[in-house]
Amino acid sequence: MILETQNLTKQFNGKGGFKDVNISIDSGMVFGFLGPNGAGKSTFVKTMVGLLYPTSGFAWINGFPIGTIESKRKIGFLPENFKYYDWMTGKELMKFHAELYKIKNSDKKIEKFLDLVKLKGHENKKVKNYSKGMQQRIGLAIALLNDPEVIFLDEPTSALDPVGRIDVREIIKRLKDDGKTVFLNSHLLSEIEMICDEVAIINHGHVIAEGKLKNLLSKNTYVEMVISDYNSELIEKISKLAYDVAFKDGKLTFKVKDKDSIPEIAKIVVDSGAKLYQLDSKTSSLEDLFINIVGKDEDVC
Amino acid sequence: MLTITKYTIKEMIKKRAFLLIAILTVGYLFIYGYGLSLAFHNNNQVINNTPNIAKILLESQLLSAGLYFSNFIIAFLIVLTSVGAVSGDVESGAIYALLYKPLKRHEYVLGKFIGLSIIITVYSTLLFLSVIGLNIAFGTKVYLGLGNVFRALFFFDLGPVVLLSLVVASSSIMSTVNTGVLAVMTYGIAMIGGILEQMGSFFTDATSQGLSNVGIITSLILPTDVIFRKMNAELLTQNTGLSFLAQGPFGGTSQPSPAMFVYIAFYICFLLYYGTRKFEKRDL
Ligand SMILES: Nc1ncnc2c1ncn2[C@@H]1O[C@H](COP(=O)(O)OP(=O)(O)O)[C@@H](O)[C@H]1O
Ligand SMILES: [Mg+2]
Repeated sequence: MILETQNLTKQFNGKGGFKDVNISIDSGMVFGFLGPNGAGKSTFVKTMVGLLYPTSGFAWINGFPIGTIESKRKIGFLPENFKYYDWMTGKELMKFHAELYKIKNSDKKIEKFLDLVKLKGHENKKVKNYSKGMQQRIGLAIALLNDPEVIFLDEPTSALDPVGRIDVREIIKRLKDDGKTVFLNSHLLSEIEMICDEVAIINHGHVIAEGKLKNLLSKNTYVEMVISDYNSELIEKISKLAYDVAFKDGKLTFKVKDKDSIPEIAKIVVDSGAKLYQLDSKTSSLEDLFINIVGKDEDVC
Repeated sequence: MLTITKYTIKEMIKKRAFLLIAILTVGYLFIYGYGLSLAFHNNNQVINNTPNIAKILLESQLLSAGLYFSNFIIAFLIVLTSVGAVSGDVESGAIYALLYKPLKRHEYVLGKFIGLSIIITVYSTLLFLSVIGLNIAFGTKVYLGLGNVFRALFFFDLGPVVLLSLVVASSSIMSTVNTGVLAVMTYGIAMIGGILEQMGSFFTDATSQGLSNVGIITSLILPTDVIFRKMNAELLTQNTGLSFLAQGPFGGTSQPSPAMFVYIAFYICFLLYYGTRKFEKRDL
């Protein structure tokens, strides 16, 4: 477990922030922290990297309690509102951060990371003249400068164009290949869907769903069947294994929690003497899941 | 910590109107020097006929005034350049990328303080030596021994460092704007307190005592003025015991006690300790 929290809570005078978050992440995972604006994602990450002090609860990075110097040695962080000393050139800024880590002979490393984030050729420009996207890129390079084991990225593509987003995705994949753990804050479902192994969905400061992306998604498989010669008894049987059973456009539609119920249901249909012409199943996208879960959460609130 | 110090100095040189300050300082010294040359080489009969001791008093007054306003300029520059030392990074968000690193927060604050102290001390030393140099160059009759000058220099540089410790501590706790207000107001209070204390020497008994108490209280709040007077005394008191201390607002008739200097050392340490401690516990 490279990262673990126990009832971690950070609130501002009893409001906002996040509450009772229990997360554990294995080394080498790309973990997506997904939630609408104001859900508490940034607050969570800032607490993990020691910028905010938790109200209660515990958390460890690499086995060290958060906030300690030891826990900070092997982490990287790209803040949401990235802002760097802009009177330096890109290269000087990298050098400054390398010196903060006491990295010796940092020139090669700086070259490597400037290349990685595609800022080669801009390294001698003042950071103040960088576009927002370039500043986010250099922020990413800085976050990787110390070869961290865990990298926290808070909305890392917020200022990037579509090509930049793909670049960041590639970088995250490479980090994963190198065995690094990536903690990715995002409200962009597609981003999370494409690169994360595990996700947690947070809303109003509470984690409302968590797990392997595969499992979360297969929880909600949507099935359409075209059948004829059926009776009400069959529908009742299906309703026991599925939910949201309905007729739509001449098709029987329902959802199952477990994919393995699909062949089971097909067998029931065939055994009942009804005719099965067509069966489609569709795993719901993260978006469906997100809207479903967050939507239900809103209803409760 | 030293990295922060190094880059604080770099930032000052690159960003904060370094050249402008240098040019305007030369302008200031030029005008002061011009004034001295007129005053010292006046052939007016009245002045030429006055006894030497009166001339020395006049000239020491000019010297003190030069140092007083130099000190004032330095204080201004400290406020302008250092109010955002910490709060500026907090307000811009640049602090995030620094303090998630294995860098202790107090190292960051102290690194800034040391960097700023170095710059301010260099500037203040240059200004002090220029003023003294101009006085000597124009043939002041005030005797300026090397020992006097160096002891005075120490105190001349100490004042700005004291003010800086207040500014940096406040910047670690409060916003840039509030730090600016606090620094200017406390500096003003220290100044008026010092003047009132000087005035005390013109009165007798109760009034004098009351004014002196005001001075003591304000110098506890911010001891810059009391340090300036000590500087003046060091500069103008001769080994022989003869003192050319002038009276008036720039002078140093009433001198600070040794206890005051123990307090000043404590003052700097306490402010830095308190500021860093508050900063350590702060949510960023
Ligand atoms: N410093 C703060 N003081 C008070 N409330 C805050 C502070 N920071 C965040 N909040 C509140 O905490 C909640 C979560 O914010 P944030 O973590 O920034 O959300 P997200 O990153 O998911 O968009 C919001 O309601 C926000 O208003
Ligand atoms: Mg956020």
